[in-house]
Amino acid sequence: MDGHDTGHRLLAAFLAGDLNSADARLWDEHLLACEHCWQAVREDRAGRQAAQLLRQPPPAGLADRVGFAVELAAAGTVAQQRHCHGMRLRWRWLAAAGAVAATVAVTVSVLVPGGRETGTMPAAVAAVARYAQELPPAQQPAPGPGGPGAPVEVGSPVTVAAGGQQMVLRVLWLGDVEAVVAVSAQPFAMPARAHGAAGPGMAWIARLGSLGLYCRNGHASELVAARVPEAQLAALAARLPPA
Amino acid sequence: MSVDHRAFLDATLPYLDVVYQVARHAAGDGQDPEDLVQETYLRAYEAFSSWRGQNMRAWLAAICLNAARSQARRRRRRPWEASFGVPLDAFPVADAAGRHADDVADVVIAGLDAQAVARCLALLPEPQRVCIVLMDVAGYTAREAAEALGCPRGTVLARVHRGRRRLARLLTEAGVSYGRP
Repeated sequence: MDGHDTGHRLLAAFLAGDLNSADARLWDEHLLACEHCWQAVREDRAGRQAAQLLRQPPPAGLADRVGFAVELAAAGTVAQQRHCHGMRLRWRWLAAAGAVAATVAVTVSVLVPGGRETGTMPAAVAAVARYAQELPPAQQPAPGPGGPGAPVEVGSPVTVAAGGQQMVLRVLWLGDVEAVVAVSAQPFAMPARAHGAAGPGMAWIARLGSLGLYCRNGHASELVAARVPEAQLAALAARLPPA
Repeated sequence: MSVDHRAFLDATLPYLDVVYQVARHAAGDGQDPEDLVQETYLRAYEAFSSWRGQNMRAWLAAICLNAARSQARRRRRRPWEASFGVPLDAFPVADAAGRHADDVADVVIAGLDAQAVARCLALLPEPQRVCIVLMDVAGYTAREAAEALGCPRGTVLARVHRGRRRLARLLTEAGVSYGRP
């Protein structure tokens, strides 16, 4: 083995942290004499230190978000395990809920297809979004007893469950905007591509096509779905009556 | 599956930091690293019942990298190349004062700009980039990185060494921080 091979072997061992004490002495001697290896070590060290600059702590709230997502996935799993057993009861229950919601002409049965996750969209959020998307076109109702601009509820509340999460859905007109408002005792998990928003608890905003979603999680979590720009969602939610 | 999600979170949340480091650099164009972290944990939760006690950090990194790739495939884009597509000529022009090759390390160490490092890192071949992210950014050992990538430890070490040297040279060529106070 010539000096070059020895140097190469020692360099590899050095980089791997595998040098024994005898080799470490050899390596030190070799480094003093070998410009190539010396350069390799310097560049290796420089590259490592540069890359270490890229470390960033995870954003605050990420652990909570992940925890929520896993909790909901767990709830969905339990719901799926029960799914077959409770299939008949579930669909009867949904049919009854659908009858209650007949005034808003929405087919509830399409909302919760087994309570499963829809891609990276939590099932409960997907159900609310689907409900809002399925609303037929409607004309703005006349102002209610609260006067112009006060929320006006249309139809009757509907209770549904998706992904193991139970919630009550209402259709409200807030001025000239029609919104679906879901209220649940459980927090609504952030879907993929959602982002945090100002608001109480863990508020977040997401967009699904033309639909804006605004959630404020708390003692009673609210999810608002409406066809308005994201910038208007928080203001829209602020006009809601207390949950 | 009947996995206690609390046990899962207890076992995996301590590694959120390293998963986030991997996700930040594995997320492709249009991918949010936080979404990728969430997707990683959801996939890990689904697969937790089949986890056989192998290195947890390596297992999570492998899932994160796979999730990034599959999401990128769905978007029909390549995951590791889209985020930092700024060409090197976007950097300050290198000082052309006859810098000698020996200066590489000193130049790079002298003052570094994380954004420039990210851009130069993006120019490395993916295998080298992944190994650097795992070992130098996320703090994995070579053995853990090898486990996550499913390749021999020696391969990881060779890739990370070549990648570091190339990264150092790219930074030097880009004139990063050279001559700055």
